[in-house]
Amino acid sequence: MQNRNTKKKGLLAVVLAAGLAFSVVTATAPSASAATKITKIGVAFDLGGRDIPGFNQLAYFGARDYVKTHKGVKIQELQAALSDTDATREERLRLLATSGSNPIIAVGFTYASSLKIVAAEFPDVKFGIVDDSTVVLPNVQGIVFAEQEGSFLVGAAAALKSKTGNVGFIGGVQTPLIQKFEAGYAAGAKSVNKKIKVQVSYLSVFPDFSGFNDPAKGEEAARGMFDNGADVVYSAAGGSGAGAHKAALAMKKWSIGVDADEWAFPSNKAYKSVILTSMLKKVDVGVLAFINSIDKGTFKSGSVTFNLKNGGIGYSTSGGRVSSYKKKMDTLIAGIVKGKIKVPSKPAM
Amino acid sequence: MSALLNNVMKNKVVRKFASPWRLALLVALVLIVISVVRRITGANDLTSAGLSSATLRFTIPLLMAGLGGLWAERAGVINIGLEGMMIAGTWIGAWFAFLHGPWIGFLAAAIGGALVGLFHGILVVKIGIDQAVSGLAINLLALGAARYLSGVLFIPNGGDISVSPMVQQPGYLTVPGISSWLLSINGKNIIILSDAAGVLAGFVTEISWATIFLLITVPLSTWILWRTRFGLRLRFCGENPIAAESLGVKVYRTRYMALAISGMFASLGGAYLSLVASQVYREGQTAGRGFIGLATVIFGNWRPSGVLAGSVLFGLTDALRVRQPTSIHAALLVIVILGALFVIWSITRGRMKTASITAAAALFIGFIYIKVPIIPNEFVTFFPNLATILVLVLLAQKLKPPAMLAVPYREREEGH
Repeated sequence: MQNRNTKKKGLLAVVLAAGLAFSVVTATAPSASAATKITKIGVAFDLGGRDIPGFNQLAYFGARDYVKTHKGVKIQELQAALSDTDATREERLRLLATSGSNPIIAVGFTYASSLKIVAAEFPDVKFGIVDDSTVVLPNVQGIVFAEQEGSFLVGAAAALKSKTGNVGFIGGVQTPLIQKFEAGYAAGAKSVNKKIKVQVSYLSVFPDFSGFNDPAKGEEAARGMFDNGADVVYSAAGGSGAGAHKAALAMKKWSIGVDADEWAFPSNKAYKSVILTSMLKKVDVGVLAFINSIDKGTFKSGSVTFNLKNGGIGYSTSGGRVSSYKKKMDTLIAGIVKGKIKVPSKPAM
Repeated sequence: MSALLNNVMKNKVVRKFASPWRLALLVALVLIVISVVRRITGANDLTSAGLSSATLRFTIPLLMAGLGGLWAERAGVINIGLEGMMIAGTWIGAWFAFLHGPWIGFLAAAIGGALVGLFHGILVVKIGIDQAVSGLAINLLALGAARYLSGVLFIPNGGDISVSPMVQQPGYLTVPGISSWLLSINGKNIIILSDAAGVLAGFVTEISWATIFLLITVPLSTWILWRTRFGLRLRFCGENPIAAESLGVKVYRTRYMALAISGMFASLGGAYLSLVASQVYREGQTAGRGFIGLATVIFGNWRPSGVLAGSVLFGLTDALRVRQPTSIHAALLVIVILGALFVIWSITRGRMKTASITAAAALFIGFIYIKVPIIPNEFVTFFPNLATILVLVLLAQKLKPPAMLAVPYREREEGH
């Protein structure tokens, strides 16, 4: 008897809780879509920082592009440190939130677990996190990219350029994110030349992130691939990619950059002659779209994917080394956008 | 497992094969096995010139960190701060190389590293801070200082808060005639001969002058530590500082010098990493090499030649892994065949216990070879740790660390 009673009470509690939760959802929904006046944008960087061309800088450019057209809006930036832990990342996000930044952009998936905690503490602040779709909260948007599509394009370019029918892929850290690059690259190369050989090497294994900052390992990986017949190497390896450019220069081969137009990097001045193209992951486009959505009141929680179709992904043509393949590349782009070409996001085993 | 083999071979086989002819025979045997495996598996990278030169470039930073650890520990002080001293070397080397060229970079790194080592010395020897705590503090301090200084000095010069501008590297040596001759034999694909030529070619083709100079420090360390008065006193401080002091050895001063040399070596390893292996300073580029260097000291039984063997082994696995991940699988077959040969040899000598342990290990590796077509990267990157643990577990009784390692020592006051 008593047992049944508690069961009933339990059921009632569940129903009440569900009703409460529903009312919360319905209550926050209109306010989520209402436009917010932006006065200060917070940016929490990942390792590398704002001034290095690449991922962090592009996120900053996205915020800066917004500020350019909106007078009086400020950007509050906080740098990451090599000794960071989840606790220090949490503090960084909290500091941005308490000092009045809204929206706040967390650059990189390393912020995911910290953001889960901080975003729940500040339900009125909108957060955007680059490269992560695991944080599911009403005030968080994951800004994610279809890297496999851009990698597909540079894979096709590599195969078109390769005389040996053998190309290489260097991944910085073995994680599902970087394996997306590998999958797209291999598929792209095979779309041009079915028999092409794709060599793959990862510099370090999760959770060891040293592979993104170890140019010495990047160079040896590239040298190994060139020694074993490759003549084009694509590195999705952050700072280690400079090592691959170095190897390409020493051995007169080709190297492909990642994330931003590496051909234009001041630090890559010596390597301009060997950089074939770069896979462009336009973090700036994603961040700007995120900020604009808050400004216009069209903010959506969950993750928003930027791809070839909406202009968040592309490949660079600086240096003019792939300009002769433009026709072929355009048909591939059209195929992907129309859905005729399916790009895999997991490497074939 | 190869760590076990390696050490068993070093301890027993090498002693038996005392004459250089027999040693040459052993090397030839290993080469034949590798050559055959290369033919069977098609893992052509196993004996390429590229692999041996990559191994050399991966070995040097580990070797220098290892020697740094060895010098400190021989004097009785543990140096957990090797990683930090390497970071100091990468940064100082890059900055001075940017200003005045690579050789000044190396010189500055040596001096800077010696100062950091001396700082560790003052903290632990004079003030008596816990050796592990001081070492960890140096690791954190070096990281923070490098970042701060990068902000001040690299940013105005085309670098960034975590990256230096590109620097020049020291010159290369290609032995004329011999290099191209070896490479041509390597290209002909003759069994064994081409393999030997390939391995050797890596050591005479485009080898950095810095590599040559830093390699000389191995015999130099052995000579100083075992053949000079200073070396004897230094090791005395590590074995029994009380007795050393009673015989008039200045324990504090000797330990200061040992730590300065330790810091100098680690820092030179860092400078090699940023100047030769990368041509750029990048935050985090030491990637734990200081700690692997510390492991080579244990692996190498506190001897410079042992540290060299450990660094080459760990450098080789890294080079194999990043150059052609599939060749790691072929390397397992090499280990299995060598293990089988060793078992046969042990049985003929009546060493049944060694034979059975090795046979079990070889069978296990053989099983993995057949069952696991792609060795997961996780296991390969873990190899240095695994090898060191195996050495510690299996050869614990053969290891001879300095008796008073990591035990704090207070010098007696004057007049007592």
